[in-house]
Amino acid sequence: MFRRLYNLRSRISAQLTIAIMGAVTLTVISGMVGWYSFDRVADAQRHVSEETVPAIAAAFGIAQQSGALAAAAPKLTSAGTQLDLTYTGFEVQQNRDEFARQLRLLEELGGDHEHFQPIRTQSRALVSTIADIENLMWNLFALEASRLRLTDRMAVLSRELNHFLIPAIDDQLFYAMTGYRLLDEVPMSRTHTFTDREILRYRVLSEIHSGTKVAFEILATVFNTSSITLLEPLKERFEAVRRGIQHNLNTLPDDEQRQQLESLFNEMDRLGSGEGSSFDIRQRELEAETELQSILELNQSLALNLVNNVEKLVSVAEDAAIDATEASEDAILTGRNLLIGISLVSVVGAALISWLYIGRGLIRRLSRLSERMRVMAKGDLEEEIEVRGSDEIAEMSSALEVFRQHALEVQRLNLVEKMANELKAKNELIETALTDLEKAQDQIVMREKLAALGELTAGVAHEIRNPLNFIKNFAEGSTELLEEMVEEIEALLADIEENDETKERHALVREITDDLVENTRLIRQHGTRADSIVQSMLMMGRGSGERQPYAINPLVDEHARLAYHSARATDTNFQAELVFELDPEVPEMDIIPQDIGRVFLNLIGNACYAADDRRRKIREADPSARFDPVIRISTKKLEDGVEISVHDNGSGIPDDVIDKIFNPFFTTKPTDQGTGLGLAMSNDIVRQHGGTITVDSEPDTYTEFTVHLPFDTTPTVSESSPAPQG
Amino acid sequence: MQRASQPRLCAAVLVLVAGLAHGQEAGVNDDSIKFGQSAAFSGPAQDLGKEIRRGIELAFAEANEAGGVFGRTLELVSLDDAYEPEAAIANTTELITRENVFALIGAVGTPTSRSAVPVAHADNVPYIAPFTGAAFLRDRQWNTVINLRASYYQETEKIVDFLTRSLGINRIGVFYQDDSFGQAGLRGVQIALERRGLAMVGTGVYPRNTTAVKTGLLDLRAADPDAVVLVGAYDPVASFITWAKQIGFEPLFMTISFVGSDALIEKLGPASSGIFVTQVVPPPGDDEGAVIIDGGRLRAAGDDSTVTSPPIVGHYRELLERLFPENPPSFVSLEGYLAGRLVVSILESCGESPDRACFLETMTHDRVIDLGGFPIRFGDDNQGSDAVYLTVVDDQGRYRKVVETAGTGGE
Repeated sequence: MFRRLYNLRSRISAQLTIAIMGAVTLTVISGMVGWYSFDRVADAQRHVSEETVPAIAAAFGIAQQSGALAAAAPKLTSAGTQLDLTYTGFEVQQNRDEFARQLRLLEELGGDHEHFQPIRTQSRALVSTIADIENLMWNLFALEASRLRLTDRMAVLSRELNHFLIPAIDDQLFYAMTGYRLLDEVPMSRTHTFTDREILRYRVLSEIHSGTKVAFEILATVFNTSSITLLEPLKERFEAVRRGIQHNLNTLPDDEQRQQLESLFNEMDRLGSGEGSSFDIRQRELEAETELQSILELNQSLALNLVNNVEKLVSVAEDAAIDATEASEDAILTGRNLLIGISLVSVVGAALISWLYIGRGLIRRLSRLSERMRVMAKGDLEEEIEVRGSDEIAEMSSALEVFRQHALEVQRLNLVEKMANELKAKNELIETALTDLEKAQDQIVMREKLAALGELTAGVAHEIRNPLNFIKNFAEGSTELLEEMVEEIEALLADIEENDETKERHALVREITDDLVENTRLIRQHGTRADSIVQSMLMMGRGSGERQPYAINPLVDEHARLAYHSARATDTNFQAELVFELDPEVPEMDIIPQDIGRVFLNLIGNACYAADDRRRKIREADPSARFDPVIRISTKKLEDGVEISVHDNGSGIPDDVIDKIFNPFFTTKPTDQGTGLGLAMSNDIVRQHGGTITVDSEPDTYTEFTVHLPFDTTPTVSESSPAPQG
Repeated sequence: MQRASQPRLCAAVLVLVAGLAHGQEAGVNDDSIKFGQSAAFSGPAQDLGKEIRRGIELAFAEANEAGGVFGRTLELVSLDDAYEPEAAIANTTELITRENVFALIGAVGTPTSRSAVPVAHADNVPYIAPFTGAAFLRDRQWNTVINLRASYYQETEKIVDFLTRSLGINRIGVFYQDDSFGQAGLRGVQIALERRGLAMVGTGVYPRNTTAVKTGLLDLRAADPDAVVLVGAYDPVASFITWAKQIGFEPLFMTISFVGSDALIEKLGPASSGIFVTQVVPPPGDDEGAVIIDGGRLRAAGDDSTVTSPPIVGHYRELLERLFPENPPSFVSLEGYLAGRLVVSILESCGESPDRACFLETMTHDRVIDLGGFPIRFGDDNQGSDAVYLTVVDDQGRYRKVVETAGTGGE
């Protein structure tokens, strides 16, 4: 057991387990240290948030409210309207309540009672002065309202007195001067009106008027007086003026006018003396203002003390807060240092483990192993892997060694297989080449065959031509001789008497001569035909003109029409539509125009024949059927040459003969209509221009011959394939 | 409580902002434009206020019958100031702040206008066609005042010119009201006399809003002028003339337009015959034909010299006949009507969304606004018309236009 454990000692897993356990231990220790320091921080924070913060908040609240209370009195006194005053009074009430609430709160948090007691008394005193100020302000507003009412009454009264006095004075003067009192009245005589009495009356009225003006001016001045002491002299003056007016009034006769004036002046008395008079109102205003001033002073000193005390309270709370915050900061700092220390230990431990153990032992060996593996991956499997130690890396090394040996074997096997595959591929190549070679050989043979056939044909034709001429000439000579002979025979026969016996012989002679004439004619006819065949054969393989630059499109056009008209000439029933699609880009080509023309003539002639042939066949099957033969002739400029194609919708070429159509003497036409040399000859000509002819056809649908002429029209025999396709 | 008031404040601010965003000038609503008037509707000058208002109402009713100005009807709010400056200030303030009027129109009197104009000017409210010719309102600093009528100076100039040139009268006295209006008239006569190297022979004065004219009458009688220029309201002026005739003091009486020409005749009855009144609008009544001064005497001009009234006068009379059939045509209500027509004309030129700026800008345009043959032209001043007409009351109690012929009067 112990030994097994001892053996395990050298295992990586065991060593890693030990290392991880070490790391875990360090982590747990640091966690505990962290928990401890956070716990301390939390304690400090709790102290701050549960005691210090509310205390300082309450202290600040008190400071704020005490400031508001200190400002309450000036605010109240500056209220411009009763509404302002109501609103400000309400605000002050709120400040007061809030102040009391905050104070209570701070006390409950357990503050120093020696700080609270003066604040409590001072605030109570302050609040009471504020209430006094508010009452005084209300009083002042009430007085102001009375004053305004009084001013209005004064204005009205002044106007009434003026309206009464001014015309009265005016009238009195006029009366005294002119004797007129009313309009349309007989005027009093001047001696009657211009008397001491009337002059005196004018003077009295004028003095009353000026006295009235002075009285109202004094009353107006009252409200501008800023000192109570000045009120009394004003009162004195008012009373003197009033006495003067009364004196003047008394000199007037006791009539209606005087009574009206008396009542108006009684009204003025009410404005000028006694309770509710302007003097009274102004005095009360000034008293209230003085009182307000003294209360304000008291209020301000109280407010100052309160604010000072509250500031002390706040500074105590601030000190407490600073202490608590410092304690909290200490806790945080200690915790931080502990955590940094334990982290450093962990980091150093981990670094040591990785450097001593992993770095020096494992990594170096692993990298050596990985280097070996890289070398192996490049294909070098030859070097052996050394195995050292007894841990997992040693096991990996031995496993790699086994793998290396296997890989070596597999590498060798792969080499053999690869070589076999290459061999197989080469064989296939050789086979293909062989097949191509055979095909080429066939083509060459075919080409040679065709060429030899052409030459042979020409040779044969040359040889046959003389005997043929002989036959033709002699057949012609024989015909003439035969005609003479028939005449002679007829003359001879006419001389011989006719009887039953001779009659029969005569008929026989005539029959023989007739046969002879007919035979001679046939010989001549077939001779002529043979001659034309020979002529054609001679044409083959022999250039009939010089090469010259020649435009293809006009050539095609010209020969197409030629072929068409020749077809019309041989068969009046023939009809077909010619469609040209000629590419204007097609250039002039270096060709033998007669030869190439013949090719076109041939191809288009064939097309006409095939199209008409199909029409004829369709008509025979069903006379009412309709078929429009169409021959489409097109030219086209290609990159390397020109392509001319002739397309017809005629009877087409059966599959079994399409391979033979370029052979000489092959024809599908009735015996007397085709020589079977047209296509062979065409092929020959095109080949001599380095080009090819190809055919594409579907029976009873269409046939298309395509001539391809390269720009370089020197004859090439080996490259282009003259073999028909299809 | 304090907290609860917050949303209400917000709402108020929103309403205010919405109002501003709507972008209409004060007093201009979607379907109406509001004008304010502070004038005398009680006291000795009440006829002036009532007649001016009637004239403005005629013009507004005419515009409203035609569908308003760009679809907005014109409204007039009138407050009584009894020709007292303090009341005029209070009314003007109320019209601007409480009634929120677009402009003020048809104020009556010099002392009242003198008090009200600074109030209106402070809020940039147009002050249209005050019924006064006082010089200070023609000062360019009052660029919110739009004067319609000719000035008192122009009227007194006309009077003095007529007296000295056509009638050869050089002994001229002035009876005036003891306020800025009276001073304006007094000063006007003084300037006109000084221009001719003449001096005033005497003055009489009376306190505003009273009929205590007799002291002034005695003063003037003592000076013994050949002509007296009366600068006052119709009530004291009538009283003055009555008493003057009563005591045998009969110089030529001449007065200026503010007197309230028709109220004066009503007050005086037959005693009004021969009184000269300068007018700033054409005679509104039946065209009686002009009077010619011939050798210092008056005689009716022939038909050929009949001066026809501009078409707007006939138009005004038709309208008055239709809307206020019990009220006869008068100079003052015609002036009110012209003022109303001027407002309509300016509003029309200001387009669909009129504002005060555009309204006032009209004064700076040097072009003629033709109110049916009565041309208004601002330009270098804030006074639209320079027209002054001299009229005389005939023995039928009718105003006749005085036409001067060449060659009359002393050289």
